[in-house]
Amino acid sequence: MFRYIVRRLLQMVLAFFGTTLIVYALMFAGQGDPIQALAGERPVSAAQRAYLTEKFHLDQTGIGGFFYRYFDYVGNLLRGDLGDSLTGRKIGDMLAQAWPVTVKLAIIGLLVAILVGVTAGVIAGLRRGGIFDNATLALTLLVLGIPTIVLAPLAQYFLGVKLPLFPPTAGAEPSIYALLLPGIVLGSLSLATALRLTRTSVAENLRSDYVRTAKAKGMSVRRIVSVHVLRNSLIPVITFLGVELGNLMSGAIITEGVFNIPGVGFNLFRGIRTEDGPLVVGLVSVLVVVYLVSNLVVDVLYAVLDPRIRYE
Amino acid sequence: MQVRRLAAWTALPLAATLGLAACGGGGDSGESDPNATVSIQIAEPQHLISTNTNDSSGNQVLSALFAPLVDYDEQNKPFEVAAESVNSTDNLTWTIKLKDGYTFHNGEKVTSDSYLNAWNYGAYGPNGQGNSYFFEKIAGFDDLQSKDPDGDGPQKAPEPKAQTLTGLKKVDDLTFTVTLAKPYSEFKTILGYTAFYPLPEAAFSAPGVIKDGYEDAPIGNGPFKMKGTWQHDAKVEVERYDAFPGDKPKIAGAEFRIYQQLTAAYADVLSDNLDVDVTVPTENLSTAATDLGDRFQQSQNSSFQFVAFPTFQKEFSKPDVRKAISMAIDRDEITKSIFKESQISARSFVSPVVAGYRDDTCGEACEFNPTKAKELYQAAGGPAELKITYNGDGGHKDWVDATCNQLKTNLGVDCVGAAEPKFSDLLTKVEGKQPVGLIRMGWLMDYPSMENYLGPLYTTNGSSNYYGYSNPDFDRLVQEGTTAATPDEAVKKYQQAEDILATEMPVIPLRFGQNVYAHSTRVKNVEVDLFQVVDMTKIEVVS
Amino acid sequence: MSELETVAAAELSGGKAGSADPAARPRSLAGDAWRDLRRNPIFWISLVLVLAVTAMAAFPGLFTSNDPHDCTLARQHAGPGGGAPFGYDFQGCDIYARAVFGARASLLVGAFSALLTGIIAITVGMLAGYFGRWVDAALSRVIDVVLGIPLLLAAIVMLKRISSDSPNIRIIAVIFVLAILGWTTAARVIRSSVISAKQQDYVAAARMLGAGNGRTMWRHILPNSLAPVIVVLTIALGSFIAAEATLSFLGIGLKAPTISWGIDIDAGRTHMRESAVALVVPSTFLALTVLAFIMLGDAIRDAFDPKLR
Repeated sequence: MFRYIVRRLLQMVLAFFGTTLIVYALMFAGQGDPIQALAGERPVSAAQRAYLTEKFHLDQTGIGGFFYRYFDYVGNLLRGDLGDSLTGRKIGDMLAQAWPVTVKLAIIGLLVAILVGVTAGVIAGLRRGGIFDNATLALTLLVLGIPTIVLAPLAQYFLGVKLPLFPPTAGAEPSIYALLLPGIVLGSLSLATALRLTRTSVAENLRSDYVRTAKAKGMSVRRIVSVHVLRNSLIPVITFLGVELGNLMSGAIITEGVFNIPGVGFNLFRGIRTEDGPLVVGLVSVLVVVYLVSNLVVDVLYAVLDPRIRYE
Repeated sequence: MQVRRLAAWTALPLAATLGLAACGGGGDSGESDPNATVSIQIAEPQHLISTNTNDSSGNQVLSALFAPLVDYDEQNKPFEVAAESVNSTDNLTWTIKLKDGYTFHNGEKVTSDSYLNAWNYGAYGPNGQGNSYFFEKIAGFDDLQSKDPDGDGPQKAPEPKAQTLTGLKKVDDLTFTVTLAKPYSEFKTILGYTAFYPLPEAAFSAPGVIKDGYEDAPIGNGPFKMKGTWQHDAKVEVERYDAFPGDKPKIAGAEFRIYQQLTAAYADVLSDNLDVDVTVPTENLSTAATDLGDRFQQSQNSSFQFVAFPTFQKEFSKPDVRKAISMAIDRDEITKSIFKESQISARSFVSPVVAGYRDDTCGEACEFNPTKAKELYQAAGGPAELKITYNGDGGHKDWVDATCNQLKTNLGVDCVGAAEPKFSDLLTKVEGKQPVGLIRMGWLMDYPSMENYLGPLYTTNGSSNYYGYSNPDFDRLVQEGTTAATPDEAVKKYQQAEDILATEMPVIPLRFGQNVYAHSTRVKNVEVDLFQVVDMTKIEVVS
Repeated sequence: MSELETVAAAELSGGKAGSADPAARPRSLAGDAWRDLRRNPIFWISLVLVLAVTAMAAFPGLFTSNDPHDCTLARQHAGPGGGAPFGYDFQGCDIYARAVFGARASLLVGAFSALLTGIIAITVGMLAGYFGRWVDAALSRVIDVVLGIPLLLAAIVMLKRISSDSPNIRIIAVIFVLAILGWTTAARVIRSSVISAKQQDYVAAARMLGAGNGRTMWRHILPNSLAPVIVVLTIALGSFIAAEATLSFLGIGLKAPTISWGIDIDAGRTHMRESAVALVVPSTFLALTVLAFIMLGDAIRDAFDPKLR
């Protein structure tokens, strides 16, 4: 197992640079006029254009220019310098500000998905076709039929403004309480998927031979479910949730906007919109590490959940 | 491209629409609490250095920290604030006398040098300041710029010839003169802009070099000073500066809270979590009056919305085609149904806020007349398919779609609204001469003058004339206006120039915007000016 | 079918296969599944729904006589009437007609993105989970890399490059963008199922009886790993339709004159406090379509599940 983890860590380095290269290439390919994008609708002064072009090597174009700028970026990265955003701010500072709040938000979203989704999924799976099961199906449909672009403002208006249970916006340094509503909104789609995955998995495992054997041996249903079925049903659910953690961090663009949380999703959105290559690559670099680590943890968890799975 | 510019485009992604009307805060009754603070919505400012700030959020913060040389009265004429007088006998050399008693927040006295150093910094090309074009009228500007020898190539541009403007001369500690390259009768008017604020010695680490970190805590000469530093993406806090010699503010301080989306600020103002929401998003306009009552307000601003015809698309080359399209648009129906009267139908080529504005200069071409429009369109052989290209991030979809539907019905053509992700993508397509059809454009002025509309939008080298309109007579009239001896004579020339636009219709005027803002129950006397900036000396907290 | 395989099949279906069929004719998995499905009312209901939406997508004119492009502000938020059972939206277009005509683009985007996602995910997840070692390492890192690429970025870059204004080309482009970046979660899920299925006794048995890699994967592991993937994909189908709304909202997805539920949901959202109908109708169409696919997926999964026999 130890050797397996070491090998995975080594592969991570490769994957890390692979992703930064691809994202850098995408930013490069999608580049129109970053200086104008930064200025919005305002015309750009000649002095400003010349200054920014020089500072960010925007005059380096074509394949050669791409590699020049990418290696320049990687060189700085290896020295621990993430560079400057096109707005002039240090990307290191921007990341240090954006990540903590997004991590909190994503964890709340994930906890909501786990607590509500997995619990409801187990119950629905145990009583397939029952009222509760059908209610969870209705909930799933509701979440899918009302996408986040609708759900977030709706939740904000009804639970934040009309019935002020939660603050309508969270801001830059929110309390956990202020993050609760955005967290629930953010986690809702993951919740729906986690719920249906758990339900299917539990239902499937209930029909397996070992459950029949356990039943035949006279084991209590509670024990069968909590010890055996759950453990065996969780593999796909955990896989999904592992990937989802990263998705929740990068995919919070709408939620972060509606609840005014200046986190990773918002910065990613801003960076992409203003064609701010260094900012986007900086954010994605950290994001990739999150995906890599959470997928490693998930793979290790497989072996914990199912002793038959071994990594050499 | 000649650089003459506007300011104050809000940086919010959903920078919705703006709007007019009754001004002033609600409820003048009751006492106010001078020790309370207020919260005001802004977007993340792009910069907080006066010579580099031209977004409305940055302007809002700097307007609290700085006192301008001149401000504008209700007729939008300049009057002196930090300046004692601004005079010229020949419109070429201007003498600016400063009021005594102004100090920077660090105690430093405001002198002529504070202005000269700031302006020289702003004009110096290699500093890359966004407002450098404001100084191009001053003699010696060209010597502060450097040309890159190989355009976009890898070679570095050489150092400019000079470091300071020859046109700026110190007379004494409180007097300096500004010599312009060409006579300009409205120079006093442009001095109200952010670019002309002073900078203290403390802002510089060496002559001409701004100290690292100054931008995070700017030191100004205004009624408020920084409290802490600029918290990026979160807030900027200011507190009252008691040694300020001008009009004292009626609050102890303010928090400029940074919002990414207009809708979030609106939700906060609804629940009294925010005191002033400077821009109510379009999507909330129809419910805002019910939600907020008299806390939902409108005031005049300078925005002008129009669609333009790219000259490289030959199907629009006949003025009759352009005129017919204009006549097929029912402006009043759109301002009523889409904007809920928060914008005003435009039938002129400059905003009503500037001296020299006349109603209906566009004449018949802007009157809704579907029958005549269709006849004219068919006679002139207009294209069977129309397209309006717009930027998808500005809240324009609703009115573009509605306009297209009107054109479909009234001209019997096909019409689609084509969204580009952002304005720069639209410009890239225009510059690549792709068939974009009509393009959506908007303009906010930098300073109240007709020239600030006519110059950038319609002269051959205008900084925002992306559609390529060019008429030598028009250029000549605008040029004569800027060098005219008096503002009145200037206006006459500008009006003659505007009349040319009415016959040629290079663009279709659609609407004039207004500020549409809202405030909480805590505050009163909230006023938002032409530049979308909250008046920080008038706002009060209800006690 | 050889005797050996019949034994393996019996093993696979929990030992009951032999006695269940009096004719003792060797049966295929698909044949079994079809027999189950025929008797399942849920299967028929969901199939009818899916066919109805498909018919709507193919022949929208059969469901409404109004032109979805006929809009005028004079009818803004007007109530039902004039062949418009749900009234008119903000622009004065027939809400129902737009929902009917929106089915084509939305269904194409949802179904084909999900299909493409399924193909990529099953191939990658199966190979990675089954072969393990370097195949798994390589494919898993590819998944990690793709996971790291923000959908928004790739969508902007790819869709901006398309200069064609042809609505069909845009639909295809949107499908590809969603699928190329959307398959990773499903692939990780199927890989995990394959890893755990691979350890099961019946796989070892099948292998011992001489089944090759391809056959073991296709006949034994896939049917046992499919359940979670069907769940993920049916939900993905719905979220792809909704994701298209976000892309359109950003000006990079489908464009007018194409009509889609996503575009209408986004438009309805901005005016939901004035009139909720314009939001509810396309949302309901979307939810019903997803419901149909979820139920269909459930039924098919149950039918193919060997343990259920």
